[in-house]
Amino acid sequence: MTGRDIFLVSNSVDELGGVTSWSHQMARLFTERGHRVHVIGITTPEDPHDLGELPYPTTRLYAGQPPAPGRARDASMRDKAGVLTNLFRAARPGGVVIVTQVWAMEWVKLADTAGLTVIGMSHESFETSKRSSRFRRVLKHYADVDRMLVLTREDADLWIGAGLNNASYLPNAVPWLPEVPSPRTEKAVISIGRLSDEKGVDMLLDTWAEVASRHPGWVLKIYGSGEDEEILRKQCTALGLDDSVLWMGRTSDVPGALRGGSVFALSSRGEGFPLALMEAMAMGVPCAAFDCAPGVHEIIRDGEDGLLARPGNTGELARKLDLLMSDAGLRDRMGDAARENIRRYGADEIAGRWEALFGFLDR
Amino acid sequence: MNGVKVDGDQRPAMSVVVIVYNDEARLPTAVRSVLEQTLRSVEVVIVDDHSTDGSYEVARRLAAEHPGRVRAHRLPENSGGCGAPRNRGIQEARGAYVLFLDSDDVLERDACRNFLEAAETTGADLVSGMCVRVHVDSRHRKEVKWYPWLYARTRTFDLITELPDLLVFDTLSTNKCYRRQFLLDAGLEFPVGIHYEDLLFSAQAYVAARRITLIPNRVYDWNVVEKASAKSISNRRAEIANFAHRMEMHRRVDRLLADQGMTELKFRKDVKFLKHDLVLHLRDLPFRDAAYRQEFAALARAYLASIDPAAYDEIEPIHAVCAYLLRMSDWDNLLPAVDTLTNRDKVSAPLTERDGRVYWCAEHIDEDPFARRILDVTELGYHTRPVGKLFPRNELTEYRQDEQQGKGGVVRLAGRVTNPLGVIPGGARLSAELEFYARRQGLRFQTFRFPVAAVRHEGPYVSWEASADLAKGLRPLGIVDAVWDVRLHLDVDGERTTTRLTATRPGLVSGEVPVRPRLTRLVADRIEPEVSSRGHLAFRLVPGKKANDLVVRGLRGTPGRLAKTGYRKAKALRAKATGGETKLRLYHDCFQRMPVRKRLVVFESHLGRQYSDSPRAIYEEMRRQGLDFEAVWSYTGRPQGFPADATLVRRWSLPYLRALARAEFWIDNQSYPLKLTKRPGTTYIQTWHGSALKRMGFDEAGWKLKSRAEQAEQQRSLDRFDHFLIRSEHDVRTLAKAFRLREKTLLRVGYPRNDALVAARGATERPPLADELGIPAGKKVLLYAPTFRHHGQRRFALPFDVDRFAEEFGDQYVLLVRAHYLNHVVLPPSVRGRVIDVSDHHDVTPLLALADALITDYSSVMFDYALLDRPMLFFPHDYEEYVHEGRGTYFDLLERAPGPVVRTEDELRSVLATSSLEEQSVKYAAARERFVADFGEYDEGTAAQRIVEEFFGKWRKA
Repeated sequence: MTGRDIFLVSNSVDELGGVTSWSHQMARLFTERGHRVHVIGITTPEDPHDLGELPYPTTRLYAGQPPAPGRARDASMRDKAGVLTNLFRAARPGGVVIVTQVWAMEWVKLADTAGLTVIGMSHESFETSKRSSRFRRVLKHYADVDRMLVLTREDADLWIGAGLNNASYLPNAVPWLPEVPSPRTEKAVISIGRLSDEKGVDMLLDTWAEVASRHPGWVLKIYGSGEDEEILRKQCTALGLDDSVLWMGRTSDVPGALRGGSVFALSSRGEGFPLALMEAMAMGVPCAAFDCAPGVHEIIRDGEDGLLARPGNTGELARKLDLLMSDAGLRDRMGDAARENIRRYGADEIAGRWEALFGFLDR
Repeated sequence: MNGVKVDGDQRPAMSVVVIVYNDEARLPTAVRSVLEQTLRSVEVVIVDDHSTDGSYEVARRLAAEHPGRVRAHRLPENSGGCGAPRNRGIQEARGAYVLFLDSDDVLERDACRNFLEAAETTGADLVSGMCVRVHVDSRHRKEVKWYPWLYARTRTFDLITELPDLLVFDTLSTNKCYRRQFLLDAGLEFPVGIHYEDLLFSAQAYVAARRITLIPNRVYDWNVVEKASAKSISNRRAEIANFAHRMEMHRRVDRLLADQGMTELKFRKDVKFLKHDLVLHLRDLPFRDAAYRQEFAALARAYLASIDPAAYDEIEPIHAVCAYLLRMSDWDNLLPAVDTLTNRDKVSAPLTERDGRVYWCAEHIDEDPFARRILDVTELGYHTRPVGKLFPRNELTEYRQDEQQGKGGVVRLAGRVTNPLGVIPGGARLSAELEFYARRQGLRFQTFRFPVAAVRHEGPYVSWEASADLAKGLRPLGIVDAVWDVRLHLDVDGERTTTRLTATRPGLVSGEVPVRPRLTRLVADRIEPEVSSRGHLAFRLVPGKKANDLVVRGLRGTPGRLAKTGYRKAKALRAKATGGETKLRLYHDCFQRMPVRKRLVVFESHLGRQYSDSPRAIYEEMRRQGLDFEAVWSYTGRPQGFPADATLVRRWSLPYLRALARAEFWIDNQSYPLKLTKRPGTTYIQTWHGSALKRMGFDEAGWKLKSRAEQAEQQRSLDRFDHFLIRSEHDVRTLAKAFRLREKTLLRVGYPRNDALVAARGATERPPLADELGIPAGKKVLLYAPTFRHHGQRRFALPFDVDRFAEEFGDQYVLLVRAHYLNHVVLPPSVRGRVIDVSDHHDVTPLLALADALITDYSSVMFDYALLDRPMLFFPHDYEEYVHEGRGTYFDLLERAPGPVVRTEDELRSVLATSSLEEQSVKYAAARERFVADFGEYDEGTAAQRIVEEFFGKWRKA
């Protein structure tokens, strides 16, 4: 069946963040494949990100934030659920509602979704959810959706074990597959990510302290900005790494950044299905990463198209970086393999899996 | 939506075969669980096994209500099993996949969708999901997952040989989804006319499948109804018949596996039979009469003969012992063994020692080498248990109501207590008492004791006789103490061992005994004996009919409900009042507000587990100098071994918290509870417990991974240290950095515990500990002190053959073995006097001082022992694994070890055989000196004195 009505419901349609970009990426893909897409956000952030011209409509339920939890929130939720119901009722048979974040589900739950397939998603690893308040909320609000989707089989199994028997999985798509890979000529290790505790740049600096002295001439380029920048710069100085660490700031040109390096490092404390890894691999840059989530070892085949270290074990990550930095042949082999292997997450491939899922849930 | 939702080819995706026999009441529930599946493309095929109730009519009605979705069929005559109706269902099914459902069970609502997704993505012939046993008549509908470890995650494999456990354990046919064409092509059918048809069918399906997928999803609720019916004679006939069927099924499965050449599967199945199937039946044996036992044994023996003898090596010793003795029909030795099978701690047999090994019994082992292997129970460590830690079997041999005295209120009891390996010596002073106590917790004041008139030593047993005047001495309240347990305390030269009375012999105990109630005769004036499921004698109050009705009504009515909720609330309140949160609040809000008690010092070593290490050395130095102070030692478990001249407080008790809150000094070597803050008026001297080879603290992956908030919390607990003892600059680079300690907290004085080692350096006289351990003067002492190992639970396997070691080196050396306090080691009697387990010693320092040489792997004792300047041998047999799998090390031990490094048992023996300790000592003298300079430069033998001087000098008595 082609030409479905698809609603993508998230916390917001125009904020900077992984899930929002994912929604627009999928909305574009579905639209290109002949579906009627509608992207819906619950709130409107204070400084909305400019989305430019979109080939599909968007709706924001609230002009700003919803009222604080309590009676006013409840009343407004019933009200806004009515808005959703009207949108949903206009859908043709076979329509699908994809709720990308569990918070948004609290509104969708109040709306009338009769005749539609409802899919709930969690875009982070099970362990990351487990550490936050979202864990209980996912179990509660997604208990009755037609399918609850996470990013990997392993995460789905864990959710099933926790009692969500409707859990399954679908990985994210790689956003682009560039024609020209990185030349892998610059003696630079690249890191791209928000400078926040979650991304573990502090551990990357500890790692770098163990490996930098063995590779004079190499630099670590850290892209990104964030609340931890000052602490991290202090740590860098304290470790005596100011000569070999470059603070690059935030970039909108990820391919450009990746062209300026030959190795990519990921040192996060937690991840879902890290886009940064997929982008690096698509550019043919071999990765060394903490195996901090099922999504990471799903993307990287350890020893074949990248290298994994046990989470937090900076000595081990240093050894892996050392291997890649010492051996240009290995970098080329793994980089080429990465570029080839990442194609399994190509846009067409993933969009096809989504359509198959819609069909399956109709049976 | 009406009518079956069909796929393109007009067939449903799935057919669920629901079989029913005389179950009209529950059939609609089962069928509804299929119709309400999230997958709509499902049909129901009901097959009625010629019920005599209205089942078939119900089935037809369901079919009429759901045309196209439900069909009803009926067998022409009753088949008496599940096989025939299921076979019929397979024939009638039209779906691409087939499931089986029993009329008393239900499918989980996503089951079909999850099965179908898995089957279609992997192309499996067979998909299996998790079954849950629901105990429908239990109070909270208890649920037990069926072999959950098989279903922890999704996995797919092509042949059953890749996962033998699946065939061996999950023998159900109902939690599975079969490709219909696969069933037809493989000609799979259930056997008819025999019970346990699932065993064979599932085995055949596993073997035939060319791809199998397991999913972690709950798919099937198996509703279990507990029947409390007594085991009557006719039941027992049925039981024997069932057991015969079961054995036959096992034989057929074995034949199938043999035909397929699947020897590994057969082997795993043999292991499981010995470990699980047989055990289930064995546990009932002691309760059965001789006739039943004979029949059972005949059936079991025939099957046991087909078990691979190697399977006995894969199971626990007690399982093997039972299976062997059953094969030999040695009832005298088997029944005690079954007692141990049921009560694992219990030592049930007199045992026998032969050639340095311990055997379950003296029989069989001389004529049969296989018996010698199986009956060897040395590794259970029975021979290392003193009387006080024994839980011996106590077999009740006589139970009789004395009709002469009173009105049967006196019960004469006699029995015999097993005396394993003669641990109770012939001349021991023996006395005993019987104790009756209410089973319900919180009623321990309801305990009554009766003297035991006679206790006699009879070699392998201690026999006893008692007359208990229950009519006089047992005083129940009624209702709340309805069940009474009995135990016998046996005192052997002042040491007490406690036994339960095994009374399984059929017909041994019976009759009602009058007792004297505390309250009213209405509720409790008689008790009658019974036997618990573990085989132990107990008594139950015989309820007066009228009073009981009254009470039951009261309990179920409003007053009872109120009383119960009140009781529960009180219990919850008590739990809260004694819980951790409350204690913390008390500590911070109350105890810490009290003034600091000057000269109060709280000591702790290894979280209270020991009286040892530097805190002990400081304490003893303070005592030696006669300081005027108040000492409190914290302990965990039992206070034995802690100093009598200090106040002892249990860790986490209120006195402990009060002492910590008010102390002027804290002295420990690991950590006081992390959540306890330290007030500024208290000084914390952290002695630490060893220099580091392994990465520690924030150098360790686990700590690094913590979030910033968690790291800050961790840091707060470390920042409590006011002083941290340092042995060398290595400690500064490792520990101090890893704990992010401020420079001003570092105290470069060395470890007080090591003062004794510096003093012992060059000593020529052996410390008195040698005599205590019975070490002859002519032998050198080797100390083997490995570090803690995680794997293998608590029991720790030595990485060398200890018998061979004793054989080769026993005339020169005595080997002391000290396992880490979290590990446990068992030495066979054969090495007695040549290898000694010293793991129980609180303090390792005297052992180090005694040893003429040290053998270790990575334990931090190496840094301390080096101070003695005696030979050291390094045996890091799993170095790569330890360094790389573990958390990593600060330096390469292989490079810097001040002694030979051996990697295998052979190398170890060869080093000891080819060079004397003296040669070693000379050869590595320079290396040891360097090692001490690197890791112990501040250990000068005066650490304790210097600490006393600095902190406590002003407490000297004038």
